[in-house]
Amino acid sequence: MKSLINSLSSVKLAIFLLIIITSASILGTWIPQQRGPAEYAAKYGQIAKMLIRFQFTDLYHSLWYKAFLLLFALNTLVCTLTRISSKWKRAFNPSLERDKQRLLDLKIHENFEKKGTLDSVKTAAARALAEKRFRIKESSRENRVSLLGRKKVLGIFGSDIVHLGLLIILLGGIISGKSERQMLNITEGQTVAIPGADFQLRLDKFETDYYANGMVKDWRSHLTVLEAGQPQLTKIVEVNHPLSHQGYRFYQSSYGINWEDPLLEIKVKKKSDPAFSDTKALKIGQEKQLTDSDIKIKTIRFVPDFVLNENNVVATRSLQPNNPAVLLEGWQNEEKIFSGWVFAKYPEFEQMHTVKESDLTFRFIDIHAASYSGIQMSQDPGTNLIWIGCTFIMLGLFIAFYWPLSEIRIALEAKPEHIEITAGGLSPKYTEAFQATFNKIIATLRNSS
Amino acid sequence: MNESTLFLISFVLYIIAAVFYFAYMFSKKDSLAKTGYQIAFLGLFFHTFALVFRTIESGHAPFTNMYESLSFLAWSGICAYILIESKYKIKKAGPYLMLIVIGLMALASSPLMPSEAVPLMPALQSYWLVLHVSVTMFGEAFFAIAFITSIMYLIAHSREKKGTAKETSLSAAKLDSISYRCIAVGFPLFTLGGLVFGMVWAHEAWGRYWSWDPKEVWSFITWSVFALYLHTRVVAGWKGRRSAVIAIIGFLAALFTYFGVNYVLSGLHSYA
Repeated sequence: MKSLINSLSSVKLAIFLLIIITSASILGTWIPQQRGPAEYAAKYGQIAKMLIRFQFTDLYHSLWYKAFLLLFALNTLVCTLTRISSKWKRAFNPSLERDKQRLLDLKIHENFEKKGTLDSVKTAAARALAEKRFRIKESSRENRVSLLGRKKVLGIFGSDIVHLGLLIILLGGIISGKSERQMLNITEGQTVAIPGADFQLRLDKFETDYYANGMVKDWRSHLTVLEAGQPQLTKIVEVNHPLSHQGYRFYQSSYGINWEDPLLEIKVKKKSDPAFSDTKALKIGQEKQLTDSDIKIKTIRFVPDFVLNENNVVATRSLQPNNPAVLLEGWQNEEKIFSGWVFAKYPEFEQMHTVKESDLTFRFIDIHAASYSGIQMSQDPGTNLIWIGCTFIMLGLFIAFYWPLSEIRIALEAKPEHIEITAGGLSPKYTEAFQATFNKIIATLRNSS
Repeated sequence: MNESTLFLISFVLYIIAAVFYFAYMFSKKDSLAKTGYQIAFLGLFFHTFALVFRTIESGHAPFTNMYESLSFLAWSGICAYILIESKYKIKKAGPYLMLIVIGLMALASSPLMPSEAVPLMPALQSYWLVLHVSVTMFGEAFFAIAFITSIMYLIAHSREKKGTAKETSLSAAKLDSISYRCIAVGFPLFTLGGLVFGMVWAHEAWGRYWSWDPKEVWSFITWSVFALYLHTRVVAGWKGRRSAVIAIIGFLAALFTYFGVNYVLSGLHSYA
C-alpha cells in the first residue's frame, strides 16, 4: 500500500503519463477517428483490424486512453495530497527557529553586527520588515530572537489550486459521459416533445438572412417552450445564442427543406393558343381540373434532385433542390392520356408518353416546401463542473505565477558586546526584485538607531 | 490611406528594422539595435492602424481568415517583444524575432492566403471570437519569444562549454531565465484564451465544450508540452538544455495547432 502511494505520488510518473497521453493524442489526430471499417481497410490494409481491435480508431473514447487519464488524475490527486499537509503547516504554522547556518546557506543572506539591546534591535528589524509590508511572526528564547517576515503566503497553494481545477474538469468530463444529445428537425408550426423531459418545443418561425454575396448571414428559429400545452417562454435561437430550459439547451445547428409535403406550381399552356395560360398549385397525389377543359392533371411523385440511378430508376441525388422534377399525369374521362417528368430547371426536357394527342405543354414553375430548422438538443450535467474547474485553473495559475511567496528570516543573537544579526531570504520567483527588497530591508536595519 | 497601404508600410518598416538589428548583430554597435527598435515601434504604430481599419472595414475583429490572423500574430509578436525587451533588455533576440515577424507578414501577403474581407459565417458571429483568438495569440507570441531565447540558449550554452563565448553575449543562464519568464506569461494566457475561452465558445456555438476536434486536441497537446516544461523545471529541477528543448517543442506544437491542423488535418475549425 505504502509503495503504491509512493509510486502514485511520484512526479516521474506524472511526467511519464503526460508524455504517454500527449503521444496518444497526437496519434488520434493522425488516424481518422470514428470511421467505417471499410475506410480503414482501404487506408491501412493489413493493420486495419489491429487498429480497430485496440480502439485506435476511436482512441479518445477507448478504455485504455481513459485508463491513462484516470491514472493521471489519481497521480495528480496523490501528488497534491501528499504535499498539501506540509504546505499547510508552512503557511499557517511555520517553525520560527532557524539555526544560523541554515540561513547562511540560503542564496540570499546577510550576516552583520549591531550595537544595542536585543529588544531595540528586534523592534528595528520588525519595523524594517513592516515597512516593506511583510507580515511578521516572532519567537524568543533566552538570548535569541527569531523573526519571520512573509508576503503573499497563499502563493504556495497556486499549483494545488490548478491541480484541483484539473481534477474537477476530469470529473466533469466523466459526468458528461451521461449527457444526451439529439438532432431535432422541426418545421415551422410543428411541436415536438423533448425526449426524457416534460415539455415540448414549437417552432413558430424560421428565417434565413443572406449577405449581398449570397452567403448565409444568420439563421433564426423562433422557439416556444410549452409545458402541458401552455407557452412558458419564447426565444429567438441563433448560432451562438442557444435556448436553455430545465437543464436542456437547444442550439441552431443546421437547416434543410422538408420534401415530404411540398406544394408544386405547374403552369399549363397550349401549343395552339400562346395566350392561354393556366397555373395550378398541387400537393403530391392531388388532381385538378384544368380551366375550360375536361382534362385533369395529377401529380404522382416529386424529387428535389432528379437522377436516374444505375438501374435506370428515378431517384434523388441529394436533399438540395438542384434538379427538382415532378411526375405528371393527364386524365380525360377516366382514361390516362399522358404521363411524364417535368423539370423545373430544364423545361425543354419535358417528355410525355402520350396515349392520346393533346395540345398541352407544362412548365414546373415553383415549389413551396417548408424549411426545417435543425435544432441540436443537449443535456450535459457535467458542464457546470467544467466551468468551476476552469475558474480554479485560472485562479491557481495566476496565484502560482503572479503571487509568489517572499520570506525573510532574521535571527538575532545577543553577544556580550553587540547583537549578531543573520538574515536570509527565500522566494521561488522573481529573485532579482526580491533581492532588491531584501537589500533595502537590511540597509534600513543597519542604519537604524 | 487604406488598410493594405498601411499594412505594406508596416511591413517595409519591419524589414528596415530587421536590417538594423542584423547590422547590430554583426557590428555589435548598440545604437543600431536602438534604431531598429524605434523603427519596429513605428512599424507597430502603422500596423495597429492597419488592423483598426480592417476591423472598421469588415465590421468584425481582424482574425477570421489566414491573412488577418497572420497579421495579428505578427502584431502580437512585436508587442510581446517590446514588453520583454523593455523589462529584460534582450536586444540580441531582436534580429530573430524580426525574422519571424517578417516571415509571418510575408506569408500574410502571399497570394496563396485568402485576404479579402469576407462576411462572417453564423458560427463566428460572437464576441468570443475576439476573446478566444486574441488571448490565444498573445500567449503564442510569448511562446515565440521563449522559442527564440531557447534557441539562443542552446547556442550560448555550447559556446560557453567550448569557451568561445564573448564577454558581451547574454549568458546562457540569463537566457534560460528569460525563456522561463516568457512561458510564465504565455502559459496562463494560452490556457485562458486557447482552452478555457475555446471551451466556453464551443459550448455556446456547438453545444459541447469538447469534441476531440483535431485543433482542440492539438491545443491540449501544446498545453501538455508546456505543463511538462513547468513540472520538469519546478518539481524535477530540470534547467538549461533540456528545458530549452521542451520550450522549442512546445512552440512547434503551438505552430502546428495554428497552421498545420488547418492544412494537414480536417475538423470543425475549418475556417481559421
